[in-house]
Amino acid sequence: MKRRITFSVVTALVTLGLAGLTACGSSGQGASSLDKDAKVSLTMWTGQTENSEKILEGLAAEFQKAHPNVSIDVSSGASSTDDLLQKLSAGFVGNSYPDISYAYGSWASELEASGRTLDITDRVAEPDVKWNEFPEGARLTARPTGKKTIGFPAIVDNLTLLYNKTVFDAAGVPYPTDQWTWDDLRAAAKKLTNPATSTYGYAYSVSGAENTVWKMWPQLWQNGGEILSPDQKTAAFDSDAGVKALTFLRDMAVTDKSVYLDQTDTKYEQLFRNNRIGMMASGPWVLYDLKTARTKYGVTLLPGTNGDHQTASGPDLWALFDHHDKNREYWAYEFANWLTSAAQDERWNVAVGNLPLRSSEVGSAAFKTQVKTYPGLDIMAANGANAKKVRPTVSGYVGLSQAIGAAISEVLQGRAEPKPALEKAATKANTALEAAR
Amino acid sequence: MTTTELSPAATAPSGADQPDRSGRRHDRWRAALTGWLFAGPATLIVLGLSIFPAGWAFVLSLEKWNGFSPPEFVGGKNYSRLITDAEFADAVLHTIIYTAMFVPMSVLAGLFLAVALNRRIRFIGIYRTAIFVPFVASAAATGILSTYLFSPQYGLVNNVLQRLGLPAQGWLEDPAQAMVVIAIMSLWGQAAFTTVIYLAALQDVPGELIEAARVDGAGSWQTFWRVIWPQLRPVTVFVTIWQTIGAIQLFDLVYTTTRGGPLNATRTIVYFLWDKAFRSLDFGYGSAAAYVLFAITLLTTIGVVVYSRRKNMEAF
Repeated sequence: MKRRITFSVVTALVTLGLAGLTACGSSGQGASSLDKDAKVSLTMWTGQTENSEKILEGLAAEFQKAHPNVSIDVSSGASSTDDLLQKLSAGFVGNSYPDISYAYGSWASELEASGRTLDITDRVAEPDVKWNEFPEGARLTARPTGKKTIGFPAIVDNLTLLYNKTVFDAAGVPYPTDQWTWDDLRAAAKKLTNPATSTYGYAYSVSGAENTVWKMWPQLWQNGGEILSPDQKTAAFDSDAGVKALTFLRDMAVTDKSVYLDQTDTKYEQLFRNNRIGMMASGPWVLYDLKTARTKYGVTLLPGTNGDHQTASGPDLWALFDHHDKNREYWAYEFANWLTSAAQDERWNVAVGNLPLRSSEVGSAAFKTQVKTYPGLDIMAANGANAKKVRPTVSGYVGLSQAIGAAISEVLQGRAEPKPALEKAATKANTALEAAR
Repeated sequence: MTTTELSPAATAPSGADQPDRSGRRHDRWRAALTGWLFAGPATLIVLGLSIFPAGWAFVLSLEKWNGFSPPEFVGGKNYSRLITDAEFADAVLHTIIYTAMFVPMSVLAGLFLAVALNRRIRFIGIYRTAIFVPFVASAAATGILSTYLFSPQYGLVNNVLQRLGLPAQGWLEDPAQAMVVIAIMSLWGQAAFTTVIYLAALQDVPGELIEAARVDGAGSWQTFWRVIWPQLRPVTVFVTIWQTIGAIQLFDLVYTTTRGGPLNATRTIVYFLWDKAFRSLDFGYGSAAAYVLFAITLLTTIGVVVYSRRKNMEAF
């Protein structure tokens, strides 16, 4: 008897729990034909914090005012942009994911593979979208496998060379120019390095994360190398070009000892601000902190190889997701299109100190004001033209990045030789690429 | 749970129409319901937040899943991959090294501090609080603190070494030393825990035993090892297991100090599985590693419990 009672109580509790769970899930079928005036509520995860999150909320409110039938729930979505990936994955499993989400470019192929993204290829081909105003790298990233366009570019940036004028002045070394070669950088770094004051000429990441990896791509490309084979199925970074690029860094780090090797990626920017590091390859995201710390800095192109100064870029996306509802699909697209148009982008990306998303914004008054606040921003924007190649968007890139990241960090710490380390990494990367297919 | 006790009604012949018993049955029904109303919410939380995810993780460990594409059933492949994975073997080894350093140190330090604090001296309250403060600090704070203390170029520790004319060390950036630094920092944070447990146990040692030993002419050293230490043995078994379980799950301090580096020298099992699941997006493989960790923890615990039961140490 008692057992039966317990059983029924448990059943009741479980049923209650399940009912609660289903209530949280998405409700029913969406509209199958488009009605532009129907009430629509959208969810948007921005992955942003503080100021830039507030600006986006403001822009969404403005959009809702212009279209009263649309309501947009804007939130950061996760405590950090990195955590958004986990949230999205969990959201797909639980069938409750946003209409629009910020996404790192490196997630693009995973997101497309989920089958939950919209395909807006036809719509962005319309001339008034001015799709070609977005940098090429960003456009390619929004179309990770070349089949579907899964969203709009959200933020673009690229690597430039930042130098600390205080460190250069103290060592009496002339500032870097846009005519520099990598050998110029090496010679200067050597002169700037001073063990007595713990000052380093250059900084490089040895965490093995993507931060370690993408800072080597420009040199690989400048030497004529490629990350992947033309069919995108195998790794190609263990070429002579790759060995040359990594040997150069090894010589600086191990032979000259002129490089501060950051194990966790958390210190070098801080040390640069505090006049302990002379140069680093970085982008617009550090300008705000440099300004706050009143560091005297300068910005120029990355050093070149035979006059080729190409750089790597890191485009992020506003990914759009499918809820099998024509109305939501329509308005999610409309809002993302509106948000990334030149007029709105000036009020978000440019206002928070990012690079302008579209080439047409560079001449705008808003951008000119920002250049005054953050000197060097104009050089970074112009450097977008040097981002000639895109990081691969195949879904095995994560594994490839980890393999070569480990190799770079071993070599720079004097634990391996460039050629065998790269070859070993290429084998590992091939396994990862194979597994992801 | 309330179901374990055998109720007389269940054993009695099921003649439900005995009028004199219906009132009692009604009472029992109410008692059971009350019990379940108390236990229900907690049971649901345990089921929902522990048992269900654990079960799901087991299913995941048999699949290949990147979090986005549909999962693919691969059977025991993730587990067989683990056996041959040199990276995983390294992670296990690093975890063992850390455990072997941290557990004895924290038990001995706890015992020493507890004995030192178990006396009537001035400001004893302040000392006891001071020992306990690091325990309250989060691992994140401890981690950030250690990166400042042990930075090879700019850290305080190397600064002191240089003032003393000793060579500067690589600390967190030297693969041979990083794990030692992490063990020291976790000791700093965790010694308070063993200290408090030992303090409580010391205060439970009957005063007459110690007095009797003194009357018999035992010195304080002899009193400690012959009288007090045997009394502390069950507590020692307990803190050893507790600290071991904590040690093999080391993650937060690694994450906030070295991120598994330098050159993977501080990559523990939990860091390995986190890295596989959330950075390589290989959730199945990460879950398999988690289950291996679970097996290790379970076996360690069972082993020590059985051992202490045999020895009659009453730790559990």
